[in-house]
Amino acid sequence: MRLALLFILLLPVCLAKPFHQMGLFDFMLEDEGSADMAPTDDPVISGFGPVCPFRCQCHLRVVQCSDLGLERVPKDLPPDTTLLDLQNNKITEIKEGDFKNLKNLHALILVNNKISKISPAAFAPLKKLERLYLSKNNLKELPENMPKSLQEIRAHENEISKLRKAVFNGLNQVIVLELGTNPLKSSGIENGAFQGMKRLSYIRIADTNITSIPKGLPPSLTELHLDGNKISKIDAEGLSGLTNLAKLGLSFNSISSVENGSLNNVPHLRELHLNNNELVRVPSGLGEHKYIQVVYLHNNKIASVGINDFCPLGYNTKKATYSGVSLFSNPVQYWEIQPSAFRCIHERSAIQIGNYK
Amino acid sequence: MKEYTLLLFLALCSAKSLTGPSYFTLKNMMLQDMEEDEEDDDDDNSLFPTTEPIIPLIPFDLFPTCPFGCQCYVRVVHCSDLGLTSIPRNIPPDTRMIDLQNNKIKEVKENDLQGLVSLYALALNNNKISKIHPKAFLPTKKLRRLYLSHNQLTEIPTNLPTTLAELRIHANKVKKIHKDAFKGMKSLHVLEMSANPLNNDGIEPGAFEGVNIYHIRIAEAKLTSIPKGLPSSLLELHLDDNKITAVEVEDFNRYKDLQRLGLGNNKIKDVENGSFANIPSIREIHLERNKLKKVPPGLPDLKYLQVVFLHSNHIAKLGVNDFCPTGRRKKKALYSGISLFNNPVKYWEVQPSTFRCILGRNSVQLGNFLK
Repeated sequence: MRLALLFILLLPVCLAKPFHQMGLFDFMLEDEGSADMAPTDDPVISGFGPVCPFRCQCHLRVVQCSDLGLERVPKDLPPDTTLLDLQNNKITEIKEGDFKNLKNLHALILVNNKISKISPAAFAPLKKLERLYLSKNNLKELPENMPKSLQEIRAHENEISKLRKAVFNGLNQVIVLELGTNPLKSSGIENGAFQGMKRLSYIRIADTNITSIPKGLPPSLTELHLDGNKISKIDAEGLSGLTNLAKLGLSFNSISSVENGSLNNVPHLRELHLNNNELVRVPSGLGEHKYIQVVYLHNNKIASVGINDFCPLGYNTKKATYSGVSLFSNPVQYWEIQPSAFRCIHERSAIQIGNYK
Repeated sequence: MKEYTLLLFLALCSAKSLTGPSYFTLKNMMLQDMEEDEEDDDDDNSLFPTTEPIIPLIPFDLFPTCPFGCQCYVRVVHCSDLGLTSIPRNIPPDTRMIDLQNNKIKEVKENDLQGLVSLYALALNNNKISKIHPKAFLPTKKLRRLYLSHNQLTEIPTNLPTTLAELRIHANKVKKIHKDAFKGMKSLHVLEMSANPLNNDGIEPGAFEGVNIYHIRIAEAKLTSIPKGLPSSLLELHLDDNKITAVEVEDFNRYKDLQRLGLGNNKIKDVENGSFANIPSIREIHLERNKLKKVPPGLPDLKYLQVVFLHSNHIAKLGVNDFCPTGRRKKKALYSGISLFNNPVKYWEVQPSTFRCILGRNSVQLGNFLK
């Protein structure tokens, strides 16, 4: 705060340039062509230099301009800005020069605007951008030419129906990708679209219309969240190569079967959410899986639980004990499950069977 | 025990992909002003911040704590856009920032923030919160930034942490600011509470007593005059899109340090003589889209005034001394922006010397009168 205050205090002094006598009619001549200017347009202030845009707060290189009803990105933003928050405005378009001086920008928050167009060159100056938050806009596609420095892209709740390889190619630093609540179909995802993101660790494509696990996910992935989609089955192939996957979210789909061998492809899985699906049996491979700790299977159609569904045959080869297994709201009656089905689970509270109503 | 070591090892292994040095930057940006008062070591940059067993009573004890679907790194917990209906339980206790925006949370319950003693910033904007338990924020003794915008709150919650520096509560249903709403908040600097159905009577006298806010925005509300009881520390006051009808002499009595004033899109007909004499440091006045018939009096005496927006009013005439002082060198900062377009005044009737104290040729936008 002290810095910001100092800045505010120093500003008038800096701008108080010596008086310049000038042709006094110049401005009027300049103005002649402006009759078509929309009357409510904010006036363009030139010669004022970069200061904190009116109504925004600028503090420690963070420029906070949320909730202002802005229809465009403010001009003359301080060039040392590292975080620009423009959420909850009415910005419809990102134009080419909008971020032209912001070489130091690390995070750009454009959440909850009306952006439907992003100029292909708009992000070019943002050589250090790591976080781009585009959620709650009207984008039909993610822009090409996003900065290679990006580590996190969030584009939740847009109108994205297509994910092209060209958009993600070369984004070698991206760790988090959030694309939930978009009118996306499996056919709209180009084969291997995500393959180019060598560091991708977290991807979420929830609440869309995809019907299968996207193909060609990068092996770096540790979390895959695909809940609330229209996936009807899990193929072993869909999870192949995901040797680092630790969390898999597939709840609220219409999955009726999990192909044998699927879980073999994700040997380091620790948490599996398959609740609210159409499963009729416990997915195979859990008993042999060494690290799985949490399995959500509630709200399915599982009618019976086999004695070896969760625990390995014979000697306990599990390297991690279960800490959460949910089976409630399934047709299976708890008295029909052999207690030994859970012989490898030491903590009784880790199992939630519940009563079927 | 062997199992347990293996698990820890596993957690560390899978954490590797998220531990780039640049992941410090977000923390640096969002948290840098807390470093002053907290010097604790901060080498913790794993995906799952806690690599030791914590909260052993929770069934997920061996599991590195990060709520499913959230991302946890450098003590920042990211849980936005997940459709959550309540604040997740297993938030790592050393968390400094939680992003819960754009979920469906209805309530902040008594124990929701339990144990979060290091919490510095909490984003709860864009949820459905209508209730905050009066004791909910008791554990968060270091909370500086609280974002509650776009929720259903009907008043400023009571018992917010007195450590708050920034409170945003835009677009709720706040009708009332109780006398004790900001009690003890000595470091509150930014208050954004626009787009609430607040009128002048909704602000109880004394509500801002002892508070040092620099930036207040109460735009898009139901104010009919400039509130007089706001903190005297104000540097920026934004009251655009209200129903204010006049500016009166006593309005700015308390706000002697004011530098930026936003009163655009109101119904202001008159600015009383001498009103602006109370705010000698003012740099920027926005009075566009009002019902002014003339340039407000007192502008030439404001030595630091640089920007005056007067467009879209009913100004029919400009006097030669409306903007600039008569003596030389009385102005310490020249005008860099004067807007007068969309007023009935005709540009050929304006004396050129009216603008003898402007910075550059583009500093004035006069425009043509549009029928």
